[in-house]
Amino acid sequence: MSEIVVDNLTHTFGKGTPAALTVLEGINLTFESGSFNSLVGTSGCGKSTLLKMMAGLFSPSDGQMTLDGTEIKGTDRRRGMVFQQDAVFPWMTVSRNISYGPRLRGASKEEQRELEAKWVEMVGLKGFEDRWPRELSGGMRKRVDIGRVYANDPDVLLMDEPFGALDAQTKERMQSDLLATWRQTQKTVIFVTHDLEEAIFLSDKIIVMSARPGRIRHIEEVSLPRPRTDEMRLTDEFISIKRKLWGMLEH
Amino acid sequence: MEGFRAKLLSGRVLLGVLSVAVVFALYIWVTNQPDNNPALLPPISDIVGSFVTNLTSGSLLTALGASLFRIVMGFIIGTSLALILGCLIGWYKIAEYLFDPLIEAVRPIPPLAYIPIIIIWFGIEEFSRVLIITIACFLVCIVNVIAGMKNVPQVYVDAASTMGASRFEVFRTVAIPAATPFIFTGLRIALAAAWTTLVASELIAAQNGLGFLLQEGRRYFLTDQVMMVIVIIGCCAFTMDRIFRKIQARLMRWSEARE
Repeated sequence: MSEIVVDNLTHTFGKGTPAALTVLEGINLTFESGSFNSLVGTSGCGKSTLLKMMAGLFSPSDGQMTLDGTEIKGTDRRRGMVFQQDAVFPWMTVSRNISYGPRLRGASKEEQRELEAKWVEMVGLKGFEDRWPRELSGGMRKRVDIGRVYANDPDVLLMDEPFGALDAQTKERMQSDLLATWRQTQKTVIFVTHDLEEAIFLSDKIIVMSARPGRIRHIEEVSLPRPRTDEMRLTDEFISIKRKLWGMLEH
Repeated sequence: MEGFRAKLLSGRVLLGVLSVAVVFALYIWVTNQPDNNPALLPPISDIVGSFVTNLTSGSLLTALGASLFRIVMGFIIGTSLALILGCLIGWYKIAEYLFDPLIEAVRPIPPLAYIPIIIIWFGIEEFSRVLIITIACFLVCIVNVIAGMKNVPQVYVDAASTMGASRFEVFRTVAIPAATPFIFTGLRIALAAAWTTLVASELIAAQNGLGFLLQEGRRYFLTDQVMMVIVIIGCCAFTMDRIFRKIQARLMRWSEARE
């Protein structure tokens, strides 16, 4: 079980000062265990802020968040995060990056080798184990990032526009591969994006947010069958969801 | 690609040798002019002669040994302190607030300015000379170490934290490796600073060492000896820097920056 509940959360930057800016207001959400959820909205809707707070990188000014009933306070390995920027450690090889988390908590050499082998394979980087990150393409580095977070075995995966910097083809491959990995591990995923198609293709549930201050505007349950295939992107059902949500985004 | 790189590298070495050769040739040409005063610009043969004399008498090796000892001691002590303190100041806010103003105030003072007070306090002992080099190494190195720690990308820190690393673990496993390019720059500048302050400290309070040989050369008007020592210092500093770069290239294969 790994359910995240956001309870009446409001966040104001610089609270109590004249320059106070409320970025999130009255957020109530439940992310069911094992589900794939997306937060979409135009820039400034606070979706990244919300995600970072769920990671524990900073605390909300009001309200609270819980993971399986325990309040989220500070970072810990139960909530792993994949960032929009390149977060792969350039001073470690692909393998060493992947076993970083297990190494932190004192995993044995054999256990590290095992996890490295497993996740290098899972994210499709076989043959690149001993490469330096600078020798990889942007898409491959993102794979390292995802493998590293998975190898650390968190309960919840928070992803902040992880594929935002990739080209369209690479992005679609990464989405399919991510879904395959997610199906095998059944971890709760919360995925931030501004790409509606990406959100529809990946998610069980899409939370559409409005900006200034960030509020929840609509929650869409996506009932497209799984496993999802690229052909589904062109089906009427897919397109009608896209049309509906597109109208809700502020342009 | 590899062949191209090798070609480029050999071309680079060739150009480097060329510039040294040109200076060399110019010097030979000037000293061969009929109106050249060899007491001011000694010909190469005299400089080599001085080298051989000082080498066989053992005075050169003694001086070199004494100077290298000071360099190594001052460098190790100065940079070690800079590494420890610089990491703390760059990573922990409390250390920064505590020490940063002090270091910023002290930094612009040239290390040589301390020579008089050091001589008054500690005399013209070995300790004084090592201390001056230590100060010089410390000051140039710590600035780079602090800059390195402050330039650790936030996303690496966040990534490590969300994988369960404590603040100290982030410091150990992320901040220090991320700062190594800056740290190496600091170490190399410190090495150069050690050489510059070495000669100055030995010029003032010298009983032996390369600076002493320079001073002796001036006193007895041995221009060839002065020239010889200058070349030796240049060669030593160059060699040490090269060795350093090799170590850096080995330890930092992950970094895009080539030597």
